Amino acid sequence: MKKTLTLFIVCCSLVSFAQTKADDVKSFTLKNGMKFLVLEDSSIPNANMYLFYKVGSRNEHPGITGLSHFFEHMMFNGAKKYGPKMFDRTMEFNGGSNNAYTTENVTVYTDWFPASSMETIFELEADRIASLSIDPKMVASERGVVASEKSTGLENSQWELLSEHVSAAAFVVHPYHWPVIGYQDDIDNWTKEDLENYFHTYYAPNNCVVVMSGNIRLDDVKRLAEKYLEPIPAVTPPRPVHLVEPPQMGERRVMVQKQVNTPYIMAAYHTPNSRDKDYYALDILNYVLSSGNSSRLYSALVDKKQLATSISSDFSPSFDPGLFAFYGICAKGVKEADLENAIYEEIEKVKKDGITAQELQKIKNQKLMEFYSQIATINGKSNNIGTYELFFGDYRKMFDAPSEYEKVTLADVQRVANQYLKKSNRTVGILKANVEE
Amino acid sequence: MKKIYNILLTLFVLTGGATSAQVVKPAAFKVPAYEKFVLPNGLTVYLMAQHEVPVINVSAIIPAGAIYDGEKSGLASLTAAGLQYGTKSYTKAQIEETLDFIGADLNTFASKESAGLTAQFASKDQDKVWPILKEVLTEPAFNAEEFAKEKKRVLLGLERAKESPRSVINSYWDKFIYGDHVYGNPVTGSPATVEKLTASDLSGFYKLNYQPQGSAISIVGDFDPKAMKEKLTRLLSGWKKGTQVQKNLASQPIAPLTSTRVLLVNKEDARETTFLIGGAGIRRDNPDYVALQVVNTVFGGRFTSWLNDELRVNSGLTYGASSRFTPLKNAGTFAISTFTATKTTGPTVNKALEVLKRFHEQGIDEETLASAKNYVKGQFPPGYETSGQLASLLNQMFWYGFNESFINNFQANVDGMTTARAKEIIAKYYPANNLQFIMVGKSADIKAIAEKLGPVTEKQIKADGF
Repeated sequence: MKKTLTLFIVCCSLVSFAQTKADDVKSFTLKNGMKFLVLEDSSIPNANMYLFYKVGSRNEHPGITGLSHFFEHMMFNGAKKYGPKMFDRTMEFNGGSNNAYTTENVTVYTDWFPASSMETIFELEADRIASLSIDPKMVASERGVVASEKSTGLENSQWELLSEHVSAAAFVVHPYHWPVIGYQDDIDNWTKEDLENYFHTYYAPNNCVVVMSGNIRLDDVKRLAEKYLEPIPAVTPPRPVHLVEPPQMGERRVMVQKQVNTPYIMAAYHTPNSRDKDYYALDILNYVLSSGNSSRLYSALVDKKQLATSISSDFSPSFDPGLFAFYGICAKGVKEADLENAIYEEIEKVKKDGITAQELQKIKNQKLMEFYSQIATINGKSNNIGTYELFFGDYRKMFDAPSEYEKVTLADVQRVANQYLKKSNRTVGILKANVEE
Repeated sequence: MKKIYNILLTLFVLTGGATSAQVVKPAAFKVPAYEKFVLPNGLTVYLMAQHEVPVINVSAIIPAGAIYDGEKSGLASLTAAGLQYGTKSYTKAQIEETLDFIGADLNTFASKESAGLTAQFASKDQDKVWPILKEVLTEPAFNAEEFAKEKKRVLLGLERAKESPRSVINSYWDKFIYGDHVYGNPVTGSPATVEKLTASDLSGFYKLNYQPQGSAISIVGDFDPKAMKEKLTRLLSGWKKGTQVQKNLASQPIAPLTSTRVLLVNKEDARETTFLIGGAGIRRDNPDYVALQVVNTVFGGRFTSWLNDELRVNSGLTYGASSRFTPLKNAGTFAISTFTATKTTGPTVNKALEVLKRFHEQGIDEETLASAKNYVKGQFPPGYETSGQLASLLNQMFWYGFNESFINNFQANVDGMTTARAKEIIAKYYPANNLQFIMVGKSADIKAIAEKLGPVTEKQIKADGF
């Protein structure tokens, strides 16, 4: 009864609120192929610009690993009109701030600014996309910055070290094999020519989707885009990544030594990319297992059996087939094998008996709340609109997500658990102090 | 990631609207309308309707932070977490199942001075949530069995935190700067003190410190204010006024920092040195609070700041360098914060000190000041965009005793800054001598560097506490 009632209310609330809808997002494409998605929102006097480049560490090869991320740094180090340091100085002088991030799949540049500074932001972005200059002095100091970034990550997070090893074992053919930040030897050795080739191949307007939200008008965005960005020529689209990870033939295991108090465990299963029909069922499975203290894994392993002090799972959108991963930290005195087996026990329960209707409805409710959080800020709007456009092929899928989750059935969740969470399809990593025992 | 500012620089990210000198046109940013009232039991309530999404945010603030821990370090934090271990009518599992089912979030936590509760839920579900929130806040049971389980997790968590310098350096810092004053109390406690805590310690702490008359609750989101006022009055009027008057422990004097000191925290397997340099800061009610935000933006509060420009951009010594003031009701600290590979520790410390010296000597020029003003104003509104952020703002107004004029006059206050005033601010608030240093790293490799800075006290990161 509870279930039907909630469903009914959910439907009502979806139509009765004057919140952002898919049709509020306006789209246009410049002659050079650069696509724009614009959402007018006057809730605060600010705006943002998110540039999603379809390039990440999956586009690299040994010898230039980490170059996408390094390039992300170099995009702030000077172009034709705005030389070294001037991109940030000009943006901050105009009340704006920025950041950027690189993943296996994409490189995203984010500008946050008072809406009145929009034209300057267009000028700055156009300058670096059209004519970045690669200054050897800046390359040298940036190598030090990236070395520090890599080292501080490893100093402060055990998961960073462990997941590097697990990915390297899980992917033997596909470029998800190496870490986004790259191998230190590549960071030390790539050349100016490598950087220039990379820029000309991937930093083309036709390889970029721009999302803007905030107190701006579509007409102004269009006028400025035509003025500053349309003159930048398109280039031949980059070669698609053709490497496909072959099916895994059996469980793989890796051990990592680090001076930690209790062992860390990661177990990762190959899963399809985010455009696959099983995406939503797998994501619901992910939430059933680890979202909240009432989730299967937390309740069994942290609360009842007290084998772990923390447990989580992750299933993120990716361009190519990626990983569905579990992460656990052993409670004091607990052997890692006991925690590992307890994780599998919970997975086997889902495979054998499925999940309950109550659990399925819980996750659908959580997904709706998550959607509200995504659209509560102009930054959440831009980031999610862009993510859906790139990873799911259409920004409208962001607004369809609550109904896509609604369509998933109990049988779907049980089926994907059986199909993907198999022993032969997993890679297990253990990080602990004593690996000699 | 290009920058770590969003992660590491949390304090002075309160920032500005939009006006100025050459480029940035003003766009008014005001606090939305809200209502404030006080229940007969002394609880202050703020209501602000916001209808962008069908969600309600609740945020409560209670005078029950780590400053009241006494000998039982960590007690405030465990008591706040313990609010969720079951109540008069709900078990821990029932609370979690009910809230998880409707996608609602509930957090209870302690900070240095206060404890807090935040919750977010769909407005259509509010009648399922309110009875739980009411009991969590006013009728917690502190179930002994749940506490025993949590204690084990916390104890391991405290040891594990020491695997990461970034997660413990601030606790060392507060103890180092504030000494025996209650502001030196680490919120987390330590294994030695937490080990001894019992569920009845939690209920004792609750009875003493969770009182409606010193607390506030702010509700922001999709609701009808009139109906909400009636509902809250009905729900929370039964929360009994406390009988004991809390001692104002934080008003005790703090020993001044009269000489340079270095705390070296040895971490055998460190690959880098994480460090803080600084000293005393300001109180939250300091009249120069906004002016100092502008000045600190230039010194270490943004990507092009002097510190980040010199230590990262010019020299590639670190991924990020910043500075921050951390104000509390009665005192505060100031710190330059950065990290670098073990072998570049010496040059990095020296450069940071050079930048501080240069800041005192040169001050801020007109163009840089104009830039900083634009920046703090331009970055201000996104800090107050969501219902959760606005609820937190209302609680801060209550706690620190300011009102919406802080927001509404922010632009004008920022615009009032001059280079001459900046020079005075630097001289007054940025320490020039008696500097305090903390370095977390491999002692064998960096001790000689530490000793050049001043008298060194060495601690082992694995030792109990801070």
